[in-house]
Amino acid sequence: MSDIPWRLAARSLKRDLRSADVRALFVALVLAVAASTMIAFFLDRLERGLERQAGQMLGGDLVLEQRSPFSDALRTTLEEAGFTLSDQVGLVSMISLGDRFQPASLKAVDDVYPHYGVSRVDLGQGTEQIAFGPSAGEAWADPRLAELIEIELGDRVQVGQTELTITGIVEREADQSGGFGNFNPRLMLNTADLEATGLVQDGSRVEFELLAAGPPQALDQVQELLGELRREGVEVRDVRVDRPQLGNALQRADSYLGLAGLAAVLLAGVAVAMSARRYVERHLDTAALLRCFGASQQQLVILFSIQLIGLALIASFIGALLGLAGQAVLLRLLASFFPMTLPPPGVTPLWLGILTALAVLVGFAGPTLLRIKQVSALKVLRRELDPMPPAAWLVVAVAAIVFGGLLWLYSGSLPLAIALLLGGAVLLGALWGVSALLLNAVLHGIKKITGTGEWSQALRLGARQLARRRQAGVGQLLAFSVTFFAMAMIVLVRGDLLSTWQAQLPDDTPNYFAINIQPSERDAFEQAVAPRVDTQSTLYPMVRGRITAINEQSPRDVVPEDARGDGSLRRELNLTWQAELPEGNQVVAGEWFSSETPMNEPQGWLGAVDATPQAEIVPISVEEGLARRLGLALNDTMTFSVGGDELTTRITSLRSLNWDSFKPNFFVIFPPGVLEQFGHSYITAFHLSDEEQGLIRQLVSDFPGVSLLNVDAILGQVRDVLAQVTRAIELVLLLVLLAGISVLYAALTASQPVRAHESGLLRVFGAGNRMISRIQGAEYALLGFASGLMGAVLAEVATAALYIYWLDLTPRLHITLWLTLPLGGALLIGVIGHALSRGLRRQAPAASLGLLGEA
Amino acid sequence: MPSSRPVLHAERLSKKVTSGERTLTILHELSLSVAAGESVAILGKSGAGKSTLLGLLAGLDTPSDGELRLFGQPLSRLDEDGRAALRAGRVGFVFQNFQLLPTLSALENVLLPLELSPRAGEDQMAKSWLAKVGLEERIDHLPKQLSGGEQQRVAIARAFVTDPELVFADEPTGNLDADTGAQIIDLLFTLNREAGTTLILVTHDHALARRCDRCLQLDQGRLMPFASSDFNAAGGGQ
Ligand SMILES: Nc1ncnc2c1ncn2[C@@H]1O[C@H](COP(=O)(O)OP(=O)(O)OP(=O)(O)O)[C@@H](O)[C@H]1O
Ligand SMILES: [Mg+2]
Repeated sequence: MSDIPWRLAARSLKRDLRSADVRALFVALVLAVAASTMIAFFLDRLERGLERQAGQMLGGDLVLEQRSPFSDALRTTLEEAGFTLSDQVGLVSMISLGDRFQPASLKAVDDVYPHYGVSRVDLGQGTEQIAFGPSAGEAWADPRLAELIEIELGDRVQVGQTELTITGIVEREADQSGGFGNFNPRLMLNTADLEATGLVQDGSRVEFELLAAGPPQALDQVQELLGELRREGVEVRDVRVDRPQLGNALQRADSYLGLAGLAAVLLAGVAVAMSARRYVERHLDTAALLRCFGASQQQLVILFSIQLIGLALIASFIGALLGLAGQAVLLRLLASFFPMTLPPPGVTPLWLGILTALAVLVGFAGPTLLRIKQVSALKVLRRELDPMPPAAWLVVAVAAIVFGGLLWLYSGSLPLAIALLLGGAVLLGALWGVSALLLNAVLHGIKKITGTGEWSQALRLGARQLARRRQAGVGQLLAFSVTFFAMAMIVLVRGDLLSTWQAQLPDDTPNYFAINIQPSERDAFEQAVAPRVDTQSTLYPMVRGRITAINEQSPRDVVPEDARGDGSLRRELNLTWQAELPEGNQVVAGEWFSSETPMNEPQGWLGAVDATPQAEIVPISVEEGLARRLGLALNDTMTFSVGGDELTTRITSLRSLNWDSFKPNFFVIFPPGVLEQFGHSYITAFHLSDEEQGLIRQLVSDFPGVSLLNVDAILGQVRDVLAQVTRAIELVLLLVLLAGISVLYAALTASQPVRAHESGLLRVFGAGNRMISRIQGAEYALLGFASGLMGAVLAEVATAALYIYWLDLTPRLHITLWLTLPLGGALLIGVIGHALSRGLRRQAPAASLGLLGEA
Repeated sequence: MPSSRPVLHAERLSKKVTSGERTLTILHELSLSVAAGESVAILGKSGAGKSTLLGLLAGLDTPSDGELRLFGQPLSRLDEDGRAALRAGRVGFVFQNFQLLPTLSALENVLLPLELSPRAGEDQMAKSWLAKVGLEERIDHLPKQLSGGEQQRVAIARAFVTDPELVFADEPTGNLDADTGAQIIDLLFTLNREAGTTLILVTHDHALARRCDRCLQLDQGRLMPFASSDFNAAGGGQ
């Protein structure tokens, strides 16, 4: 008898696949697996792509920077951990060509450069993408340097004590080390020539960089070492922590896709729960018969488990294949975002998919399936012996626990999973009660309709049908609400996410930076620019200063150990002064400089009390990120060395600001009246439309000392990435919506036999097509309306929570949701239901009733 | 009182079904005319095609061939909708397998045809019919809580609740004990007598068949008269 379940199971599974409910179950599982594997595969690769991109911008997966050459011991350790190393040296020096002199940032690279990506360089045959640096004896200039001292390819420029041949013009460096911090024009040379220049000497300001590329395990392995290095004052940049620029936006996209994956799984779960119910109902008779023939409870459980697991395995296999194909499509959409081929997807997402299918099946169908076990043989004789459906709370509880587990698996955060789960459970409990009440209320209201018109009659009948389905009605209402909720949430979040991005980089985002504007040129420059640009930031005065003390102690001794090598301590900071809080900045602690302080009086803070300039402590405002890194708090004092003077300041406010805004941003802002006495220049950013590009030539000739930086390329790159991620999101959105619709379809299919029976009977009693379709339409529409309403409540609450705790967006009320969801729900369910029952309505009642078959 | 106006007239009716490659002829060029107020019993072996015939006559199914008039209307000229409209309120049907909706209580099942053409006192009518078939105590029970015979009586109440002119009943007493069966038979013929309801019954029950105005035998796809002597030959009923 022991091998009978296998054969029986295989045979009945084959038979089952012919029936609508099993097919619906199957499709739901396939979709769940397809969606989750596709998104898992995609996230996996997106994650790697982002890391790669960040690595490319940094110049390696790990970048160390200090003032002296790195020891061989350190190199060996890193190499043993699995890193490939590359050296870079950065310094500022005078370059000359003939009688033209220009200070420039020198970047010396070795033969390994670059670890990742390509540079865009003109080597004489137009711009090419190349993955190497200048060889010994050669140097590449950036276009600005070339313009300033009129360099042509082949010219020999004087660098320190040696001469180098210019063999290329670098339009874009593969890595962005250096970035905006340094506004000098740039020259790239080979490390082999450094010694000959004689520029690297004790006491000269030289930055040594060690760029390491290696697998994540290598990074894991050296974490302890990195901690030590940080404490020694080495600046450490780790690809996983220091994501440049796009980090924020992409992080959100990442979260969003994860969310969409979960929504798809939830949707599939709902479908599985709905179809499982019908499946079990249909199999109770079989089970009872088998009991009559002498099968034990255990054999029944085994029999049906085998069938369902078989179903799940086939479904997950097909789903995984679909998912694999789907992620390939997604990646194609993002192709230009990833410049290099990505490593092939791992197998983890595949296992995840199968696990998801099984978990969804067990979680959403398990308790219902257990009913089969309780079937008694007597049921064959007496139908009322149907085992009771499992308590609703049990179904929900088991499903919730399984879903919570998946949440944990997908989000990687247990507290988040538990919080979401508890919130969801409470919400569902409340919803169950509300569903019952709502259904009653709707039906009660409908009863009051007394009109004798065909429509009011149909509505009344439809409502009655719905009411008579009792438990099943509430169950369907709940399922549809959750479906609408998941669909609405994904749509809402997408909209808000995209508009946040849009708002972050509007069309008039500044595309030029103008620096080094002298105080004497300030007004003239302003007048030249203002009438022709679309937007312009304030002209910020800029003074360079170094932090020399924090709370009257050496900065290295006070800041957290890990921050000893922080760039803000190692380099000069750009300081500015402002009376008003700059646009886009927000005070998050303390208060902005009060307007009563005599900031604009000639004496300012310096002469306020004592005659000695240092008697009064100057209030300053510090960016919160810097404050966090350096462990600074309100009322801490900071001493700056500016132009040889020491300035003691006290932090009176902390600000948050958006570093991705393409506007001048400052770590430290002084009140007016302090820094004016030091040498300063101005910086501004503006947006220049394509038609007004002529202004640039005019500015270059009228203000030769002013440096103009075009950031269109970077801006374009950022926009590209966002556009492509947006497309990926749209695709995933579409997938989730499809999943949602197929859930509705599955659920409606599962309830179809009952409705077929009803409409067949109504037909026997003389109801016409119009009548039947109106009754059914009314029932579907009511169901859709009520579930839409509840879906809206759920979606509003859930998105608010998500925005606050996960996506870091500002929650808002979505008024249109409250209209579209109930009406759309009524329409959608009405249409699907109508379409499904079309065939039925054409059939002769003899066929739809199965007059000759079993009842 | 049989009148000369036929309620139902079938001519050379055929029904063929195909399953797989084989074509099965269930009914073969069968003709029948039933006058208003008449009661007709159709007998025949299991599988003879009685249920099929009843479904055809009620317009629940379409014949492969032949012509059928119900209340004077040729059914072949009506679409599914038209046939339904013709039945509405005028035809009652008792199915061999009852066809009760499992989620509806006995009362709701009986109410269903009334709701299609709303009128005052639906509830009362439905309850009184359930009382007539002896189920006044069970009106709130679901079909699966009722025995087979009880379900059958709900189906009968449902067929009669609209005061139809014509009732088709497929083995209406098949699941009933002799006593209850006799009560139901009395009910049917009282109606037939008092309201002039035309009855077309399929039955194995000779006691029932004997009370009909006419008995017909379905055999080899054809109808032929069933002589009352045959009752004795067949063993005097079950
Ligand atoms: N759609 C169909 N497909 C295949 N065979 C059919 C179909 N409809 C009816 N039959 C066959 O036609 C024959 C007559 O069936 P029907 O149900 O009318 O018999 P019956 O006289 O009512 O039998 P019973 O007394 O057992 O109820 C049966 O053999 C049945 O299998
Ligand atoms: Mg039959």
